[in-house]
Amino acid sequence: MNATVKYISRWLISGALLVSAGSCSEFLEEPDRSNFTLENYFTKPEHAESVVNSIYENLRNVLGGGFGGAPWMMLEFATGLANTELGQAQNSIFVRNLVNNSDNGYGATYWTNHYRGIANANLAIAKIPGITMNEAAKKRYLGEARFLRALYYYELVRIFGSIPLIKDPVDLKSPDLYAPQASVEEIYKLIEADLIEAEASGLPNADVTGRASMGAVKSLLSSVYLTMAGYPLQKGAEYYKKAADKAQEVVQMKSFSLFPSYDDLHNPAKKNTGENIFMVQFAAFVLPSNWQTSIIPYNQGISAYTDETGAIFANKEFVESYEQGDKRTAEKQFYYSSFSLRSDRTKTRNLGGYYLYKHFDNTAQLSTTSSDLNWTVLRYAEVLLTLAEASNEANGPTAVAYDAVNAVRKRAELPELKGLSKEELREAIWRERWYELSFENKTWYDMVRLRKAFNVTTKKFENYVGHKFSYGPTLKDRELLFPIPTAEIRNNSKLKQNPGY
Amino acid sequence: MKTKVRFKPLVYHLMKLSLIQCLLAVIFTGVSLANEVNAQEILKQKVSVRVENQGVRQALTVIEKQVKIRFAYRPTALPADRKITLIASNEPLAEVLGKLTRSLRLRYEIIGQQIILTPEKEAAPVRASSGALPREVNIPLARKVAGIVNDEAGTGLPGVSVVVKGTTRGTTTNADGRFDVEVPNDNATLVFSYLGYVTQEIMVGNQVQLTVALKVDAKSLEEVIVVGYGVQRKSDLTGSVGTVKGEALQERPSASLNQALSGRITGVNVSVNSGRPGGRANIRIRGNTSVSVANNPLYVIDGVILNATGLANGSTPMDYINPNDIASIEVLKDASATAIYGARGANGVILVSTKRGSKDGGRVSYDTDFSVGVLPRKIPLLNSEEFLRVEDVAYENAKKYDPVGWAGGKYVDPKTKRTNPLLFDSNGRPLYNTDWQDESFRKALTQNHQLSFTGGNSKDNFGVYLGYRNEDGLMTGSWLKRFSGRFVVDSQIKKWLKIGGALSYNDQNESQVDPLDAGGIIAMRQVLEALPIIPVRYPDGRWGGNEDYPGMEGGGNPVHVATERLYYLKTQTMLGNIYTNITLAKGLELRTTLGTNVINQRNDYYGGRTLNYISRNQGGDAYITNERHNSWQFENYLTYNTKFNSIHSVNALLGLAWQHVDRFSSQARAQRFQDDYFQFNNLGAGAVAVAPTSSTSAYGLNSYFGRINYSLKEKYLLTFTGRIDGSSKFGSSNRYAVFPSAALAWRVIDEDFMKGLPVISNLKLRTSYGLTGNSEITAYQALAGLGNYSVIFNNTRQIGIGVNRLANPDLRWEKTAQVDAGIEVGLFNNRLNLEFDVYRKLTSDMLLSAPVPSSSGYTTVSQNIGSMENRGIELGINSVNVATPNFNWSTAFNISINRNKVIALTGGADIFSGSTIIREGQPVGSFFGFVHQGTWSLAEESEAARYLKKPGDIKYQDVNQDGVINDNDRVIIGKGIPDGFGTLTNTFSHKNLELMVDLQFMYGNDVLFRSKHSAEDRTGIANSFKTVLNAWTPERQNTNIAQTRPVSAGYNTNNDTDRVQDGSFIRGRNLLLSYRFPTKMIEKIHLSRLRAFASVQNFFLRTKFQGYDPEVSTSGSAFDQGVDLYAYPKPRVFMVGLNIGL
Repeated sequence: MNATVKYISRWLISGALLVSAGSCSEFLEEPDRSNFTLENYFTKPEHAESVVNSIYENLRNVLGGGFGGAPWMMLEFATGLANTELGQAQNSIFVRNLVNNSDNGYGATYWTNHYRGIANANLAIAKIPGITMNEAAKKRYLGEARFLRALYYYELVRIFGSIPLIKDPVDLKSPDLYAPQASVEEIYKLIEADLIEAEASGLPNADVTGRASMGAVKSLLSSVYLTMAGYPLQKGAEYYKKAADKAQEVVQMKSFSLFPSYDDLHNPAKKNTGENIFMVQFAAFVLPSNWQTSIIPYNQGISAYTDETGAIFANKEFVESYEQGDKRTAEKQFYYSSFSLRSDRTKTRNLGGYYLYKHFDNTAQLSTTSSDLNWTVLRYAEVLLTLAEASNEANGPTAVAYDAVNAVRKRAELPELKGLSKEELREAIWRERWYELSFENKTWYDMVRLRKAFNVTTKKFENYVGHKFSYGPTLKDRELLFPIPTAEIRNNSKLKQNPGY
Repeated sequence: MKTKVRFKPLVYHLMKLSLIQCLLAVIFTGVSLANEVNAQEILKQKVSVRVENQGVRQALTVIEKQVKIRFAYRPTALPADRKITLIASNEPLAEVLGKLTRSLRLRYEIIGQQIILTPEKEAAPVRASSGALPREVNIPLARKVAGIVNDEAGTGLPGVSVVVKGTTRGTTTNADGRFDVEVPNDNATLVFSYLGYVTQEIMVGNQVQLTVALKVDAKSLEEVIVVGYGVQRKSDLTGSVGTVKGEALQERPSASLNQALSGRITGVNVSVNSGRPGGRANIRIRGNTSVSVANNPLYVIDGVILNATGLANGSTPMDYINPNDIASIEVLKDASATAIYGARGANGVILVSTKRGSKDGGRVSYDTDFSVGVLPRKIPLLNSEEFLRVEDVAYENAKKYDPVGWAGGKYVDPKTKRTNPLLFDSNGRPLYNTDWQDESFRKALTQNHQLSFTGGNSKDNFGVYLGYRNEDGLMTGSWLKRFSGRFVVDSQIKKWLKIGGALSYNDQNESQVDPLDAGGIIAMRQVLEALPIIPVRYPDGRWGGNEDYPGMEGGGNPVHVATERLYYLKTQTMLGNIYTNITLAKGLELRTTLGTNVINQRNDYYGGRTLNYISRNQGGDAYITNERHNSWQFENYLTYNTKFNSIHSVNALLGLAWQHVDRFSSQARAQRFQDDYFQFNNLGAGAVAVAPTSSTSAYGLNSYFGRINYSLKEKYLLTFTGRIDGSSKFGSSNRYAVFPSAALAWRVIDEDFMKGLPVISNLKLRTSYGLTGNSEITAYQALAGLGNYSVIFNNTRQIGIGVNRLANPDLRWEKTAQVDAGIEVGLFNNRLNLEFDVYRKLTSDMLLSAPVPSSSGYTTVSQNIGSMENRGIELGINSVNVATPNFNWSTAFNISINRNKVIALTGGADIFSGSTIIREGQPVGSFFGFVHQGTWSLAEESEAARYLKKPGDIKYQDVNQDGVINDNDRVIIGKGIPDGFGTLTNTFSHKNLELMVDLQFMYGNDVLFRSKHSAEDRTGIANSFKTVLNAWTPERQNTNIAQTRPVSAGYNTNNDTDRVQDGSFIRGRNLLLSYRFPTKMIEKIHLSRLRAFASVQNFFLRTKFQGYDPEVSTSGSAFDQGVDLYAYPKPRVFMVGLNIGL
């Protein structure tokens, strides 16, 4: 029996030990070894760079394309100038037919990704000042962060109108988690302030690696001023002048120039140089861009890619509305309507429509199936057209305006504009914007900024509301904005849906 | 025992080896071979002895040599020089022992394989008689009484103890059940006792010849049920526990336990969602309890919790357990049963007990089955002529649906492209008419071998189990191979110390062709969509593919895809546990267990360079994913059993546990191979290296648990259970939570007033209430984690670190409160048994990856939000309809009905999950979509135009009547979760022949037949269902199918009511014919058991569903039950098998 007692006590002792070990709270402390947390980051200069890098990623996520279309296409279908062969891309079709509603996934993708970009920018802007590092570098990083935050907000405010204005990192307890909508004016105020601060951040004029540059900051600011001059803020002449001044500053940097050939617009070798001021970066085989399968006709066997989805192509009426002799509508300039067959490149196929060549990556389409093309956010032609328009609005048809618009026309092998009234020049510049910047996610923004739509038959501009698309539907008030995504309205009771949705 | 007993050395019997034994002996020599026999059978064995005036021990040796028993005795009781004469010729052992013991004035008792001899004057152990030992009273004997003791069937029972009450005098019945005994007087009472029977007392009176019928003691035969941290007799249970024995699993041998469990237990819905080997099963116990991802039950194998989650392609750790190793499965359903698992019990608990060693000598068993699976039904698809005709019609209609494209020359007459001489003759007629279902599905062969060696005695025993399974899938290219081995040992090494353990290793290799959530080109899709005009291979050996015919969506043919898209899962599982059981005092035991589960899973993938839509764009795509899941647990608990005042009995449990789970995964990937040769075996041969990834996570659990079972007079049973769990997944303030439960049961049958109702043989009422939890969220949700971002600068990938996870330090456990009431009724001597339960489960503080406004930069946060309810009833009926010596017919029926309802969600917001919507007031798993009203007719042309539609287009209901059809017109259109399901099994046996008919049914569930999207909604770019021949034409306007047109001319495809089909079904799950060879026959070849069987599984299926099988899901989303997007069909399996024991 003594032996038994001994064993019992042994076990009780070991049991007691176990209990005390268990009450050590450390057993239930598990660090996340795969990821940093907010508490243990932002201690080194490298952390400043990495947080700024993260802001760039979300620029990418609205691009691309698959069997469901892609978010960027919504800004094209909303113009009434685009068409699709992809029957299952319901989101595209709803927008195109002007029966869009708030369940549209494209809008939700814009909203979610852009706000994610803003959150990373907010994080950078809040945390980088606390890092001990080279002050000049610190300033540049903060400049990049502010430029990107402005860019994200600029797109969101034009798409959705009055939206929550988040300027600081959010946690579960912050009131910003369920933020109310700020007025459009306040949003632009932040955009303007961020860009002005970025202007003072010491960024280089141009950056061939693809980071934000002073050229990008000033180009964006000119675009912002141009928009602020028009709808919905209607700040008028003062802002047209500001827009013209900023555009002029970009021109005077002499860091950018128009490409001699339209091919250069989609030549990977010209990324981040020449005409390209700011781009969303991609690299073949590493992070390839993937809209190539969307801009080729549906299963006609022209591409090395297996997926040929025909997700977006140009309305025939629009392409045929270009001026006679406009080089941009010549085959394989901005558009293509025939192509060789994969099975036999000596044979050419008539595609029965105008597909987008300005986003076409020849190497990828013909052989590598991995596209190296960047997506252009800001290019010099737009700056010139902004300069022309803003200058005409501020000062009337001066040489500055003519020179700028004629530079663009010259490349299109069109006669120079001259001797026009302010009103005539205004419409001529608009037309040039429509033709030059087509399918680059610019046209719809111009339409709502001006509240004008281009009539492909009369080739005149008419009021946005009431404009009838060539294929039937008519623009209504509500289409001046996209609906705030359903989920966002449901998850944040403080939000009010845009009228008409 | 106080006195010293010396056992004779164990004698091994040399047996003539039969052929099989020879084989086995080669594999495993040195194992004692002995038959499984109980005392009764031992006594029935025939022996021949001829001992004349020889030593008594020699006589015993002679007997030992003939029957597999050994004698144990005290040397003083049986002096070596004692001489006897014993002659018997082929007489039952009982008879011979009777002669022997009578002459020596000994008593014998059989314990296990031993016969213990004791002098008659020593207090004979009186088994099964309650109360104190009889006093020794010397009473003069007056007269003799003779008689026979029978069992209920009227057969004589040998070995029954017959004792004169109050004395130790008595005898045992002989082989025929006869006895002679001397009694002092007419007032004497004889006590008849026998293990497993109800002890009977009979007053002799003036009778000289007695006929006694002993009744089987239902209680002692009653099954013992494994519950969390212990066992209980079924009659003592207060909770709702379902059980399945290993023998039942053997009736339907299957690759995985989940498949085997289907239909066995009420309230347990097993949906075997894929027909590939090993399947993919979804198990829900009493409905979906949580809107978080984890609705799977907790699996506990021999006390070891299987913690691994997120294994590749929807598999679970349960898939890597050899079902043949299972001795029993218990499913804990209500809170009383599951609360002992506290935080992890909310989804129910499945306890698996594996087979152990043998308690009565060595045994060998070998089970094998061979089967062939065939495709039970085909989906009608277009043949070559029909496909080309549909294409022609589509072309004709292009100008109606796309006048602009038509005018621009976009459409070309398909007849002009039928020029490829490999596919068409000179008249443009197709050369091939391939039936891709015939080409893809094969006769799938399976072989399964299970070998076990067990040995030991009541104290020490061990078992070795080996298994091999090789199963081919119905679909070309899919298979499963499993090698498994397991060793168990249990040893009572000291009177107060028992130790044991089990170690199993399972190596499973699978080739899977049905990836979860695949919407692109996969083999199963191409079965439906490969063109009939294309061959498998051309005469020159090249693969045929849809791209060979211009204008097609050019996926490869299914045989090509299945052959060159490789998805291999190689899983090594080790499951081990050791335990010690220490008896600290009478009734007080301390058990310590240490368990571990290690799963190493490697997923090898290669997509060939020529596979369109899969890996052609990447020039070949290979990756290897390695996942390592570790978990260990350490548990200590005390149990105390006591009984006082003979009416109170208490069983108490108190314990503590630690668990730790970690996981590490890594992936390497490369693309652009010059040759398919390397597959995934040389990633360095890929020109493009995709960035590698790795990640790790870990969590710990610390728990304290206790339970008290109290029973009053064995009639009133009360259970209190509680567990406190702490988890590292939660913030420090909410780490611990308490999960209590209480239950009450009343064995009404034991009340006196029930004695007057002999028709009722069992009646028990029970009810329980309690809380259980769910913590199955991913780790670290309480921390504000940052994540990786990838960006390109200067054409180089660079890394960003930015926001990733919104921290919720206030996160706490999800809780499910469950109330359950049950009744168990037995009628007609338990020939009709009925068990009925009704329950309500209310889950609150639901752990939900809840949406937050994404303006915050985050989209979700793990939050405790919302509540959900499940109500249900479960009914199980077992009846013995006919019971005669030669023919038996029994029926088992069960049905479970569950209603699920989401009660509240974050601010009422709908949550979209896969193809389903989670909405307040609706069941989870509700399908969401448009209302399909057929097609627009010519008469409706102007109305159609308002919706930008033409006659011949699909007509969707404008639900909100706003004049446009958009997402606002979507409504709930069905649900994948059934209203009810169940099983009806009839078993007929005639002597040793048994026929079992097992039917499965399910009703009230819909299937969202998503395959229609590409195989019916659109035509002319791939093959289609034959239903498209019924498309709209001006002559046939009353149809659901839109007018045929080229895809690029625009078409409608949506989740709509046309895709939702009634998925109710009745399935002939198993038709089994088995024959158990009679002992007499197989004894000659030295076998103890030989059973042969033949079965047909899935022998019929009645359903309105048009796809392969309505028990389906191809989605990994938690509630997407009943979603069919290119499902893998379930085979009809013809099987033959043998069970051999020796």
